[in-house]
Amino acid sequence: MMPTLALKNVNKTFGHDTNEVQVLTNVNFEAVAGEVSLVIGPSGSGKSTFLTIAGGIQTPTSGEVLVEDRSLLALTGKARDAFRLNQIGFILQAYNLVPYLTVADQFTLVDRVKKQGNLSATELATLLEQLGIAELIQQYPGELSGGQTQRVAIARALYQNPEIILADEPTAALDSDRVKVVGGLLHDLAKQHHKAIVVVTHDLRLQEFADKTYTIMDGHMTLS
Amino acid sequence: MFLALREIRHEKLRYGLIVGMIVLVTYLVFVLSGLAYGLAQQNTQALDTWNASKIALNSDANDSLSQSLITKQTTDKLSLTKHEAYVGQAGVVAKAKGQAKLSAQFLGIQENQFIYHRLTTVAGHKPTTNHQILVDDSFKDNGYRLGDQVTLNSLTGKYQIVGFTHNAKLSVAPVVYGTLPTWRALAHVTSAYQAGGIVSERSTFKGADSSLRTLSLSQFINKLPGYSAQNMTFSFMIGFLMIIAMVVIAVFLYILTMQKLPNYAVLRAQGIPAKVLVTTTITQALLLVVGGLLIGAGLTALTVSVLPFGVPLAFNVPLLVGVTGGILLTGVIGALIPVRIILHVDPVSVIGG
Ligand SMILES: Nc1ncnc2c1ncn2[C@@H]1O[C@H](COP(=O)(O)OP(=O)(O)OP(=O)(O)O)[C@@H](O)[C@H]1O
Ligand SMILES: [Mg+2]
Repeated sequence: MMPTLALKNVNKTFGHDTNEVQVLTNVNFEAVAGEVSLVIGPSGSGKSTFLTIAGGIQTPTSGEVLVEDRSLLALTGKARDAFRLNQIGFILQAYNLVPYLTVADQFTLVDRVKKQGNLSATELATLLEQLGIAELIQQYPGELSGGQTQRVAIARALYQNPEIILADEPTAALDSDRVKVVGGLLHDLAKQHHKAIVVVTHDLRLQEFADKTYTIMDGHMTLS
Repeated sequence: MFLALREIRHEKLRYGLIVGMIVLVTYLVFVLSGLAYGLAQQNTQALDTWNASKIALNSDANDSLSQSLITKQTTDKLSLTKHEAYVGQAGVVAKAKGQAKLSAQFLGIQENQFIYHRLTTVAGHKPTTNHQILVDDSFKDNGYRLGDQVTLNSLTGKYQIVGFTHNAKLSVAPVVYGTLPTWRALAHVTSAYQAGGIVSERSTFKGADSSLRTLSLSQFINKLPGYSAQNMTFSFMIGFLMIIAMVVIAVFLYILTMQKLPNYAVLRAQGIPAKVLVTTTITQALLLVVGGLLIGAGLTALTVSVLPFGVPLAFNVPLLVGVTGGILLTGVIGALIPVRIILHVDPVSVIGG
């Protein structure tokens, strides 16, 4: 089966000469539609770097990033924007929401920029219900707790109805019950909606929802 | 538009301050421009009503009508047509019994010539004898009435106000129109002198005599005492204000943009095109500037309506359009400065952790 998202021999170094740090070393990775792929590693191991390269926000020093067998690195900046808007749902580690938009407006903004292919109003309502944030719709991000913010961010990413969901520590601020909800949600998205889901985390509680788990240590990735 | 409006709505205080600043700058620019225009008008209004295009003066008069004398001998040699008119200028202090003294500019003209024909009265009639005068209606605002007997400088005779005319100002003083013989009396010259200058409505007119120098009316106006200096001063003030406005707006927008960069980085990470964010910033700047302009214009209108009489505040359409356009342009330029930063915002910067 063709992987939806693949990284081949990806290396990433920051800095030059004596300051050079190798953050990713020969990373090979595949995410398939219908599966949750988990990448577990300690802080500073290169998880966010990996995820941003996979999502086309950052380019690797060497190697290839393939989306449905098309090279992401060959795309122009505009085409990569469009790719992110239409095919990728990012759940970032921090600063996910625009502070001056209410929760409802966060979704409206998506509608303004991406005119089609977003969730319907009823689908959105169901999603918000599932995540337990339906009552927060008129709040500003500043009025939400860390966990609520994270759940709104998840809803926002899913709202775009992307093929690929890249999530960076989506459960960092959540208690075990909420972790189960989010884990279950991501799992269902993979199974029922045939999405490719990639979650990087150091939260071992998510392992039970994963179809496959990679471990990342000091920039080396292994499939366990 | 969506992002721009939502942000303004959420950050009312911050944007309120910017609008307040734009209001003040706009207000100042409007009022200064109005003053500049008003003063410029009071320098030349009387000349404007003549609709003339050339003036010939004595070449030794340093382009000043009040210093110029032209002899009969000279004028007899010129073949003047109905498109030319004699005029003589003298500074006068007018005084009527029971009224305050008024400094004015006396203009002696001849009854059968075009300047006389061009004059319009708002009350009374034009002078027909040497002891009649037609005066600017600001005399009326100072308490003078039709029929008042006025002394001019230290001349012994009395001059009767037989009419008022509107907008007759020269060198920011009201004009008193009278006859050439009265002018001669005021200038203490004999009838060997025909006039101070010859005004023509023809652009081809030239005072064909070596003792004469012919100027276009705009050259003549620019040589009016203090006129160019005054205009230049105002132009500089308005120019600097515009530049200051631009810098301040740019700095504000720059700081605002810097504060918003994390949000913009998130939006960029989500794939929202940089174009949308740039449009948002410029829309926002325009909204702020237009809002400020409207309030500033409103304040200016209010000022004009409560201003004490005599402050020469005047506007015309080109002036208003120019000022408004200038401030709008200023806002857009100010908004363009942070655009570069927005285009280069790095989504990775917010992702770390
Ligand atoms: N732009 C950069 N310049 C230099 N070094 C960087 C840069 N970005 C990341 N690094 C380094 O790369 C390493 C991996 O960073 P990364 O953010 O990928 O870690 P992480 O696994 O996401 O950590 P965490 O769990 O704390 O979020 C870190 O040592 C970090 O200091
Ligand atoms: Mg990280």
